Order: sequence, then C-alpha cells, then structure tokens
Amino acid sequence: SDNDCLKLVEYFRAQMRKDPDMASAVAAIRTLLEFLKRDKGETILGLRESLKWATDCLTGEDSSVAVSSGGELFLRFISLTSLEHQDLSRCKKVMEERGELFLEKISMSRTKVAKLCHTFIKDGAKILTHSYSRVVLRVLEKAAAEKKRFSVYVTESQPDSAGRQMAEALRKLNVPVTVVLDAAVGYVLEKVDLVIVGAEGVVESGGIINKIGTYQMAVCSKAHNKPFYVVAESFKFVRLYPLNQQDVPDKFKYKADTLKTVQNLSEEHPMIDYTPPSLITLLFTDLGVLTPSAVSDELIKLYL
Amino acid sequence: MPGPDKETDLTERIEAFLFDLNRGGSGAGPLRGSAETARETTALLRRITAQARWSSAGDLMEIIRNEGRRMTAAQPSETTVGNMIRRVLKIIREEYARSRGSSEEADQQESLHKLLTSGGVSDENFRQPFAALKPNVIEAINELLTELEGTTDNIAMQALEHIHSNEVIMTIGRSRTVEAFLKDAARKRKFHVIVAECAPFCQGHEMATSLSKAGIETTVITDAAIFAVMSRVNKVIIGTQTVLANGGLRAVNGTHTLALAAKHHSTPLIVCAPMFKLSPQVRRLSFLSDFYRYCEILSKVNVHCPVFDYVPPELITLFISNIGGHAPSYIYRLMSELYHPEDHEL
Repeated sequence: SDNDCLKLVEYFRAQMRKDPDMASAVAAIRTLLEFLKRDKGETILGLRESLKWATDCLTGEDSSVAVSSGGELFLRFISLTSLEHQDLSRCKKVMEERGELFLEKISMSRTKVAKLCHTFIKDGAKILTHSYSRVVLRVLEKAAAEKKRFSVYVTESQPDSAGRQMAEALRKLNVPVTVVLDAAVGYVLEKVDLVIVGAEGVVESGGIINKIGTYQMAVCSKAHNKPFYVVAESFKFVRLYPLNQQDVPDKFKYKADTLKTVQNLSEEHPMIDYTPPSLITLLFTDLGVLTPSAVSDELIKLYL
Repeated sequence: MPGPDKETDLTERIEAFLFDLNRGGSGAGPLRGSAETARETTALLRRITAQARWSSAGDLMEIIRNEGRRMTAAQPSETTVGNMIRRVLKIIREEYARSRGSSEEADQQESLHKLLTSGGVSDENFRQPFAALKPNVIEAINELLTELEGTTDNIAMQALEHIHSNEVIMTIGRSRTVEAFLKDAARKRKFHVIVAECAPFCQGHEMATSLSKAGIETTVITDAAIFAVMSRVNKVIIGTQTVLANGGLRAVNGTHTLALAAKHHSTPLIVCAPMFKLSPQVRRLSFLSDFYRYCEILSKVNVHCPVFDYVPPELITLFISNIGGHAPSYIYRLMSELYHPEDHEL
C-alpha cells in the first residue's frame, strides 16, 4: 500500500511538472481520475474507500487547501454519479467520461475568470496584489492584451519571496511593477486604486484562505476604502466555516513536510490566513461575479 | 398586403420609440418615469413578437437582442429598457424549455453541481420550431405587463408596516414610488416628511407640493442641510434609478451624501424599488462617464453636473420591492431568478 501511495504521489508530481501553470487542485483531480481508471474494486463502497485513501495520500504530499478541496469535489462527483447508475462497470464508464469532461471545463476556468475581471481594471489604474497567483497573472495578462495601461505593486510575500516570481512574470508582459515589503502595504495603499488577490480556498461564508498577509491587506483596504477583489476558480470552494484564524485546521496552515517532522507546531510560522467575507468586495469566479453571500448558495447547491 | 405593411408599421414604431428615448435623455423631450419606459418597452417587445417574422425561438431571441442593443444605445442611462429585454429573453427561454418538455428551471444558472453532473455539451441553440411558442410567449409577456402595472401599488401596500405615527421621514428629490408609499401610509398615520430639494433640477419641490396636497406635513431643505437635520430623522426612504447586481444603487445625485449621513447617525435607509429596476450591471470604475451631463454655461468654464450617484450596498438597510422586503446581500439571488446569465451582456 505504501508503494501504491508512492506511485500515486509520483504521478501527481509528474502532472505538476508537465504543466507548471496547472492548478494543484486540477492535478489532484487528474491523478484521482487516473487512479479511478486503474482501480480494480468490485463495489462502489470499496471505490469510495480507496478514493478517500488516495486523497489522504495526496494531502500527505501537498497539504494545501486546494488539493483538499479538489479531492472532496472528486469524491462528491463520484457519489452523485453512483446514485444514478447502480451497476458498477457502467457507473465507472460514465464516471470516466464525465471526469474527462469536467477536467476540460475546469481547465477553461481561468480564461473565464480573466474575461470577467479585466473590465474592472480601468486605464491608468494602480493595482496592488499579494504573492504569486496564476489567476491574477492571467487577469493582468488579459487586461494588458486589451491595451490597458496600468501599474502593479506586489508584496514580496515572505517566507518564500513568491512575490518576486510574480514581479518577474509581470515584467515579461511589459507591465510596470514594483515589489514592496509585506510591511509596506499600509504605506502604499493610498496610491493604489484597487486590490486583486487570488485564493487557495474559498470558504462557505464567502471568505478566503490565502497566503499569509492577505488578511492584513484586506483590513488595510477596508480602512482606506479601496475595493478588495478576489479571483478564484469554482473548484476551490471548500466546505469549511472558520470563524477566526484559529478555526482554520492546522493541516492547511503548514507545509506537509513541517506537519510530519515538527513536534511543536506553535513555534512554526503559518503559511496561510483567513480573510472574512466582510472585507471582500466581490469574488470573480468562472460561475460569474459573486458577492460573498452568494458563495454559500453555490456550495449548498452542490453538497446538499 | 398585410405582410410588408405590418413590417413597416413595426419598424416605424421602433424608430419612434428610439427617438423618444433619445430625446428624453437630452432633457428636451418630456421626462418619463421609469415605469412608463418599462411598460412601453414591454409593449413594444410584445408587438415585435407578434408581428416580426421568425420561425424558431433562436430567431426571435436574435431579433430582440438586436433591437435591444439599439434601444440601449439610444439611451444608456435608462437601464429599465435593457432589464425588460432581458426579462423577455428569459421568458422565451422558459417557454421554449417548457415546449420541449424538459424542466429546465433548475438548470438555468452555472453551478458547481451542474459542472459535475452534466453529461455533455448542451446543444441549446433554440432552433426547434414550436407552433404553440408564439401565443405562449405573448401570454407570458402579458403577465409581465400586468405585473408592471401593479408594482407601485404592491410597494405602497407595505407602507403601514414600515411607517409609524409621529415619525420623521427624510427623502430626496422626486420618486413616484416613494410618493405613493408615503401617501398610502398617510391614510392611517400622522407623520412628518423632510424633502431634500436635490439641486439643480430641484425636483424635491414638486414632491413636497404633491405630498402636502395629500395632507402630509412636509418641510423642504437644501442639500447642504442634510447632515445637519439628520439627527432628528427616524428613517430615510428613497427611490432609485437602478439597483445594481451587488446591491448598490445608481440614484439621483445627492443620494450618496444622504446615505453617508444616515450611516453616521445609524438611521435606517430604506430603498423603494420595483423589480424592473434590478440590473445585472455591477458598478465599475468607468461608470463615472455615464453619470455626467455637461452644462455649458460659460465658455471657459467646464461645469460637471453629475446626474447620478453610486451608493454602495453597505449603506443600505432594506430594499422594498413589489415582491416584499430584502436585504442588499440577497439581491444577487433575485437577479438569478429574473435574468439568464447569458443575457447579462446583450
């Protein structure tokens, strides 16, 4: 079983390497679909059990919210499909077809989000963003392609300096970009017109889970009365309802390696934080432009 | 021959309507209320359905979309025209789905659930002709017209729940809906109304005259006095030109000031808006250009005269519409019930 786990993780890593632009949730779903195809189980219950085991395997490798939400979505997909067809082999065939279709659709999500969001960037705008987000990058690419002139401030985003990667990518698009310290967010906000961030997970209340420092940025934007926009694909919606920072499960806060090796988690720096919905102006998803209160509607439609 | 005559008659009517819309916007023609515009648009769309040549739902939707684009281009600030077109498009979709026998009401919106369970690309191109489609669509549009006629009364009926005796109510400018609302409450209760005059058109004066004729004690104040007087006010009740998709408003200029003053004093702000004012647009930063009309009084001075204000949803307490009261955070839901997402962009 350990061997199988390693093979699964290897497949997952290969998917991520093949296409560095792919979201980790999409890679996870692709891996689970492949696992489904190779599974030799005889019952639907057995299938669900082994899929749950596979998801745990993957979260052991990459403990981010996105992988967990991708796994849960896939499990839900299996449950919904298995309700329609009782016979296992037919069921599996339908699942495989629909799975491929689903993957096709969600690979278009970033484009849909970019199409919705770029109209909110007007000519001459100054945008503030946080860390490295491929969705935000795609939105800014689209805006630049529409010949809009805008400049971007990116936070450095310690501890991994992901903001510098974002700045590099933006420089390639000929967008004027400035890297600022995480501590300089309040300082720079008076110059900025709008704030756009990505999200690793969108929770039931309409809030988001994202790289540490996002909450700070949201509080400052609220204080300065600047719109705070979130861009996220719909497969990132997760069934969590944190009421404060402590409520976010530890397994999301720290990297998978840290969770395995470190004894005392309270001495580690968390990698993510929670931003409550009251600080978010609008969410741009492939399901449309949503207010934070509309997110729970979507989740209810899916899970209940 | 009946054929070409009907067509030319139809085109004439459309042209006349577009001309009226255009004139109304530049201030030269008669100022029409949004309710009349909505009714006329719907009546015109019914006429198009009845008289234009079309064989399938897809054709009809194309025709309506084209005419719709022309109408919204004639007067972009009159959003009720676009809203009615989207309502009619949704009606056509529903009738088509009903004729096909599928219960597609649940399937209208994109949702995560739909993503997971749909079996293939839906080939909804609306090409199948149905004989019963025309009369069904016309009947549905008639129902829509009846609904439009009853909106002001439906809203006014809710007045007694919200207005109590000896209250001081503030409003701004002139709104037919708020007028009816207040007059209905005045039949059973005694209260005071303070009207902000809303320069430069000063429609507040007409509102005050009309209210006092109905026996309500009214006071007119200048816009500058809004904040000063707000501490004495129990409720603020306003109308609006449009309700945006995020729960915000596009209302007559001065409304944002009023809303901020109300928020500062924790006074509830109630918006009386019928459902046909709900628009799928969200406020974008570039909206500002729609909000202005230029007045050239002197040659070297540019006078910017914004006609509309944007009021963000956080400042609004309650929306009273013809289907009841709602919180601003619920507006997105009403939107999804009234319009189909593919019609948001005409």
